[in-house]
Amino acid sequence: MAVRVQFENNNEVGVFSKLTNSYCLVAIGGSENFYSVFEAELADTVPVVHVSVAGCRIIGRMMVANKNGLLVPSSTTDTELQHIRNSLPDNVKVQRVEERLSALGNVIACNDYVALVHPDLDKDTEEILADTLDVEVFRQTVAGNVLVGSYTALSNRGGLVHPKTTIQDQDELSSLLQVPLVAGTVNRGSDVVAAGLVVNDWSAFCGMDTTSTEISVIESVFKLNEAKPSAITSTMRASLIDSMS
Amino acid sequence: MSSKTDIIKTKTVRVFDLDDYEKLLRGIQVAACMITESHQIVDEQSVIKRLNALTINGASDGNCCSCCGVGPFETRAQQTAHYKHHWHTHNLKRKLFGKGALTLGQFNSRHDDNSSVSGSDSETESTNSTPASDLFAAATRHCKAFFTNKTGQVFCIYRCILHHKKEELSTDGEGFAWIERCQRLTIPGYQRWAVLMVSGGHFAGAIFSGAVPVVHKTFHSYVTRRGQGQAQSARDQHGNMPRSAGASLRRYNQAQFLEHVQEIISAWSEDLIGCSLVLYRAVGSTNQAAIFGKNSPLKKEDLRIRVLPFPTRKPTYKEVKRVHDTVASIEVYDTMELFQKALIAATGKPKTGADSNIERKKPQKSPGKPIDRAKSRERTPRELPTQMMSSEDEGPCFIDSETPVGWIKTLSEQSSKGVITNSRKDLLIDNNSVSANSSCSEENNVEEKKIKKKKKKKPEEKQDKVKKVHVKIPTNVKKMWKTISSIENTLDTILEAWEGDLEEACNTQDPNDGNTALHKAAIAAKPDMVTQILSAGGNPCIKNHQLQTPYAATPHNDTRIAFRMFQAQFPDKYNYNKSQIPGPLTPEMLELEKEKKLQQKRAKRQREKEKQAEKNKSNYFLQLPDAQKVKAEMPRCFLCGSSLPKVPFEYDSYKFCTIKCLQNHRNVRPLHKSA
Repeated sequence: MAVRVQFENNNEVGVFSKLTNSYCLVAIGGSENFYSVFEAELADTVPVVHVSVAGCRIIGRMMVANKNGLLVPSSTTDTELQHIRNSLPDNVKVQRVEERLSALGNVIACNDYVALVHPDLDKDTEEILADTLDVEVFRQTVAGNVLVGSYTALSNRGGLVHPKTTIQDQDELSSLLQVPLVAGTVNRGSDVVAAGLVVNDWSAFCGMDTTSTEISVIESVFKLNEAKPSAITSTMRASLIDSMS
Repeated sequence: MSSKTDIIKTKTVRVFDLDDYEKLLRGIQVAACMITESHQIVDEQSVIKRLNALTINGASDGNCCSCCGVGPFETRAQQTAHYKHHWHTHNLKRKLFGKGALTLGQFNSRHDDNSSVSGSDSETESTNSTPASDLFAAATRHCKAFFTNKTGQVFCIYRCILHHKKEELSTDGEGFAWIERCQRLTIPGYQRWAVLMVSGGHFAGAIFSGAVPVVHKTFHSYVTRRGQGQAQSARDQHGNMPRSAGASLRRYNQAQFLEHVQEIISAWSEDLIGCSLVLYRAVGSTNQAAIFGKNSPLKKEDLRIRVLPFPTRKPTYKEVKRVHDTVASIEVYDTMELFQKALIAATGKPKTGADSNIERKKPQKSPGKPIDRAKSRERTPRELPTQMMSSEDEGPCFIDSETPVGWIKTLSEQSSKGVITNSRKDLLIDNNSVSANSSCSEENNVEEKKIKKKKKKKPEEKQDKVKKVHVKIPTNVKKMWKTISSIENTLDTILEAWEGDLEEACNTQDPNDGNTALHKAAIAAKPDMVTQILSAGGNPCIKNHQLQTPYAATPHNDTRIAFRMFQAQFPDKYNYNKSQIPGPLTPEMLELEKEKKLQQKRAKRQREKEKQAEKNKSNYFLQLPDAQKVKAEMPRCFLCGSSLPKVPFEYDSYKFCTIKCLQNHRNVRPLHKSA
């Protein structure tokens, strides 16, 4: 079930939060409303943690994360990094990277197995990404945009891409990512899908403006209706292991 | 100038040599590199190929790469390999820039030129532009325009004589606008140009008809602060204007200068109106005011009036002529390749053609006799200046021996009119004397000393070298070297039978590699021989051609020890500072070192043993059934079997070494199940 939520009257929830299968990060500051929506939905499955990056609240665009690890830009302070390390589960690797394209969330889109990255991303960053997040890395563009992280929302079950992505590109990408893809919008027609939407394998949060049509697309492509956290251990586990091998 | 451009010989044709110029223009075309890319023909084949990839391979499975036109892939491995290939990344970027994809063959051949490609930033930036686009970018940014003609020659004309910066001649299609401009230059009316230069209180201007100057004028006022190097007016803008005599003098001169330049220009106004081109150099508002000030016949908006596209020197008549000559010159390359090489070589560095001209011309200043800057200049005895510092303020460089006589005459005429300040006059009088103030001469002295030192060294080195080349190696030395490189381990036989100077023989360097006998012994790893040669007088400080001392040259540990032992034995025999031997080594020290190593080894073995024992224990523990594990008298971690800390982590009677073990155990059997 996709949940509508707002961050201080702002619909770009993907900017202020990061959701993975093993933890959820929300921005520090502002009202606790935003936090409590996540907490209510996720508390019994994954920890929800308040963080900031370089004193900013736009954590969703600055960092890239999956269940295995978390990459933060070099502007992250030591205290912030320490706080993140302390609050996340032990098996999550947290790594700081020196990268010219410092808004990692905008230039990298990933799920737990594959990552699409900006064609100009540094070679070293690519390696760190592959090691920390345990993903296979592909340099790609989405609908002629280099900011793959902004225009793609990915989970292990599906993905939503920029509305102008051609069918051919969608097919290629989905065969590369090994998940079904759909071109669509969030927040009543916004094409920056990753900014308006955060997803993991069983839940999604989108901006308050998102229409019900958009929500139904989101729910169907991310298979949110069938997925409950308990299903991860039973029905989904098999498919996950399948796709890993 | 780099050697590259020196190799490429270019002809120069002036616009005024009508015959040559018209010959050049026959079958003129705008060079391909100037034409916008939109008019390049799209490769039909690649389009069709990509269309096929779209339709035939079908959108059904997407198991192909439409960007590169590859696929369908047979295996997942093939697919991922393709997406990770540099070729794909490169095509992706080309697509972003709206260009067609390269085939693998094209990519590889392009790859060879650019030597290496990797994902890192700086390199990708250079790779995403192809040589062709490089050339286009270089050509459109260049201060010259490029043309080709029927004979395949490529020639470049300064843009400033073809069009104003604000006029954009379209480079679409054939570039007819450019060709028309080129052909117009042959009409005599279009060959009347004016060149005006104002800077630092100097003015120089001339109007040329073809190559011939019609009118010209130069003059100078004292307006810049010599010591501080700034125009007085610029200094005044910073607030609190100095009220010294010099400052007010300069301020006055500036005003006079402005007025005078404006006067000259308005006097020339009729001539200027007839000019097809007015080239000027005037940096800064004050200088521009001199040319474009009130009542000036020149208006900035006028399209005939253009800035000089290259740096110039101090405005003098000579410089004006040089500038005019440079602007009018056309570089001609015989083939396209020559031109491309030259262009790409030139874009690597910021120098323009004019710059290189300046450089080339510099040596001509003192014809026949190049200045040796290493030598101090001769000081001519000179009378003390009669007037106060003014002559020094002026700077002596303005008039020198090469200034044309006629020009001096005009200057003196001007001075009689009162244009030139008094100080100018005495300069005119003793214009041949070289001025050098005291500080300058002091510097010279210091430099002199340095140079002397250097000079002393140099001849010695040279002599050494000469010796090395010509010295004949005595046969017995050769024999010794041979013995060293053979399998024998001592030099006893040779040393016993030696006659002549043994020490010199030991220190003789092989002309090929600079190795002495000691080097050779050290490289051959013969410690006994090393000791023998050292005691025979072989100096361990001599360096071979690779700048290695014998100690540094040896690859063998025992030989190194032999050197150090020798140093311990005879600490005063040589100056070991330069031999790179790290220090003396006595046999006792050697023993100690050995002992230490042995101990380390023993400790290491002990540790390994302990580790193995621990492992065995934990393995044994893990094999016990669960019930016994809990009850064991020496409890270990329930999950991994390692020994427990003082206060173990435990739940329900299970004990663990770390929280992690506990969590793992707990995860395997959640509470409700275990309960």
